[in-house]
Amino acid sequence: MNTITRRDLGRLSLAAAVAGAGVTAGVFPAVAQSANPIRIGFAMALSGGLAGNGRATLLAYQIWAAEVNARGGILGRPVQLVFYDDQTTPGLVPGIYTKLLDVDRVDIVTSPYATAMIAPAMPVVMQRNVTFLTIFGAGVNEAFKYDRHFNMNVVGDNMKETYAKGFLDIAARLPTPARSIAILAVDNEFAQKAAESTRFLSRQRGLRIVYDRSYPPSTVDFTPTIRAVQAARPDVVFIASYPPDSSGILRAASELRFTPQIFGGGMVGPQLAAFQAQFGPILNNLVNWDVYSPEPTMNFPGVAAFQEKYRELAVKEQTDLLGNYIPPYAYGQMQVLEQTLTRIGKIDQTAMAADMHASEFDTIVGKFRFSASGEWAEPRNLYVQFQSIRDGDLEKYKRPGAKVILAPENLKSGELRAPYGPAA
Amino acid sequence: MSATEDHVAGRPAIDRPAAALATASRVAPPPRHLLFWLAAAGLGAALVVGLRMIGNEYGYFAGYFILQYIVLASAWNILGGYAGYVNFGAAGFMAAGAYTAIALRKATGLDLLPGIVAAAAVAGLLGLGTGYLTLRLRGVFFSIATLCLAVVLQTLVVNWDYVGGSRGAYIVRPREVPPFVSYGEYMFVVMLVLAILAVGISRTVELTRLGRGLQAIRDNERAAEAMGVPTLRLKLIATTLCGALMGVAGAPLPYYSGYLNPEAAFSLAYAVNAIAMPLIGGAGSWLGPVIGAVLLGGLQQAATVTISSALNLWIVGWMLVIFVAVAPRGILGWFRKRT
Repeated sequence: MNTITRRDLGRLSLAAAVAGAGVTAGVFPAVAQSANPIRIGFAMALSGGLAGNGRATLLAYQIWAAEVNARGGILGRPVQLVFYDDQTTPGLVPGIYTKLLDVDRVDIVTSPYATAMIAPAMPVVMQRNVTFLTIFGAGVNEAFKYDRHFNMNVVGDNMKETYAKGFLDIAARLPTPARSIAILAVDNEFAQKAAESTRFLSRQRGLRIVYDRSYPPSTVDFTPTIRAVQAARPDVVFIASYPPDSSGILRAASELRFTPQIFGGGMVGPQLAAFQAQFGPILNNLVNWDVYSPEPTMNFPGVAAFQEKYRELAVKEQTDLLGNYIPPYAYGQMQVLEQTLTRIGKIDQTAMAADMHASEFDTIVGKFRFSASGEWAEPRNLYVQFQSIRDGDLEKYKRPGAKVILAPENLKSGELRAPYGPAA
Repeated sequence: MSATEDHVAGRPAIDRPAAALATASRVAPPPRHLLFWLAAAGLGAALVVGLRMIGNEYGYFAGYFILQYIVLASAWNILGGYAGYVNFGAAGFMAAGAYTAIALRKATGLDLLPGIVAAAAVAGLLGLGTGYLTLRLRGVFFSIATLCLAVVLQTLVVNWDYVGGSRGAYIVRPREVPPFVSYGEYMFVVMLVLAILAVGISRTVELTRLGRGLQAIRDNERAAEAMGVPTLRLKLIATTLCGALMGVAGAPLPYYSGYLNPEAAFSLAYAVNAIAMPLIGGAGSWLGPVIGAVLLGGLQQAATVTISSALNLWIVGWMLVIFVAVAPRGILGWFRKRT
């Protein structure tokens, strides 16, 4: 066995000291920054699997911060974003939030994107009784029951009884109302809840469930799955999937020329510009869950101006080119903070939480209130239909008419076209 | 009783194999176990006191991050460093520990410490079973088998609704655990004790007949077997120890993050770091994984909160490439070569 001499130990100690000093300098920087700006801290997925939406969210925050600072800040103080890349790795999140709160001493924390990253931050913020405004989480607070948690997401409290309501309302509007449904969902939190809602509401409405299966997230070939769905001959098909599988499912449906009366559901992917450019006519007549569409019924004050600014910067920042999915909500999330702080006139975590529970917020994604558990009190699950889509040109998605809103009734902007399939 | 005396007394198996081993044990100074444990306990106590004096919670989280890798890298080193069997399934064993802790809490309400004991038992048995099934495979075939094990386990967990399945499992931990100042400090101290135990076990293995037997396997398994080293038995002990320690590293993970889903538990980062850290520090020595984990873990943590962009992955990647090129036998090997 080799032994280490005293000289080796000396060298090792020196090396360790140098490395240690480097690390310490990195993680405990002197907090000598001015106390003047309002510092908003968060982790965001800037690399890894969720980076696409993470970077789009960050760009929206940066636009908001620049605008607020141009207006003179909040409470007379400029805002400063302090953020770290969580690398889409939940294990890094607790450390990042501890650093934000204890080393950087930020005034306010907001969440990473999305459920799997938000949950690891919860114990850290709960321990310090900090108000936590999150983005696009799915039922995170059901486990923690934290009264200072607020979530910017349209799905609301009771996903089981509300999520698929719009989709089934549309199915009932078919010339021959749908009598059978197929449900296909990926094995993850959000999709399983979506499928559960569809199952529950379908039974309630007497729809016959002719196919009901889940698949693991690693599935790549959906041809056998879609063939099985096709063999069950459903009138409508509800699919809850994530971008990689949404892609495989749409390709398989297109190749098998599967044209049920209504095809879609809770697919995540078709909301994104890259997806729309790639799939073009395959999306035609797809009826899908969404959060925003540039239809006249959703032309809330400020949203068009925000999107114009976002789209200018998106090319340079290499993020989602349209900003029709998460960015308006990310901007709206920051507006919630701004309105709360302006109302209470100080940075006080208790007062912020009390105000968020009590007030209505007016943002570029509309007016809303938070429920007792911190979700949107009134869910607003949109179901849109891609209409007259003949190519992958993205210009049409900036104007009304490409993603027509079919549900809910108060935002409806067009009529259902059936069956699913390429435009004639 | 020295190894030579054993040999003379005609005891079979490991004592018999090689005069070289006996010679090595005669030449090397007797291991100072007591001094090691005292020094480790002293260093651990100094860390806890030092961090408490700094009074910054972040130190505990950054420390936990590095310490978990010390456990993981030391565990990998027992099989990979001493015996030369490269285990790509570290994430699988770690996740087995994490999910054992979750299942135990759900079934009985028992907390972290019993969870760690259970995780050690389950992951140790898993290691034993894996060893029994795969150790007849050698080299790259063994590595592929361990990688497959992680995939099989992940598929199992994804379809096991009781522990959250693909949706993940929440663990709502208490805000404080007296007498610790915070839950962060509690987690840090738990992981510190585990790290000291893991390094101590790894060192003990290295300095005993078990370690010498494993080293003989690494150098030439057939020759070792011909000399009477009970290769299968030693490898089974090594896989069990390796599995148990990796499970131990994973058991606190759901308590640390409050939520665990299969993607996070089976993250490739654990498997890659478990191999990279001993290689950078110097595989085959108990100190190597510690140096590697502190250096690479510290660098990753620092990069996360300083550079904080996709660039940090690039930098860690380059660090690996540079170390492999400049110091292929790790930092320890580099120092030894120069003396």
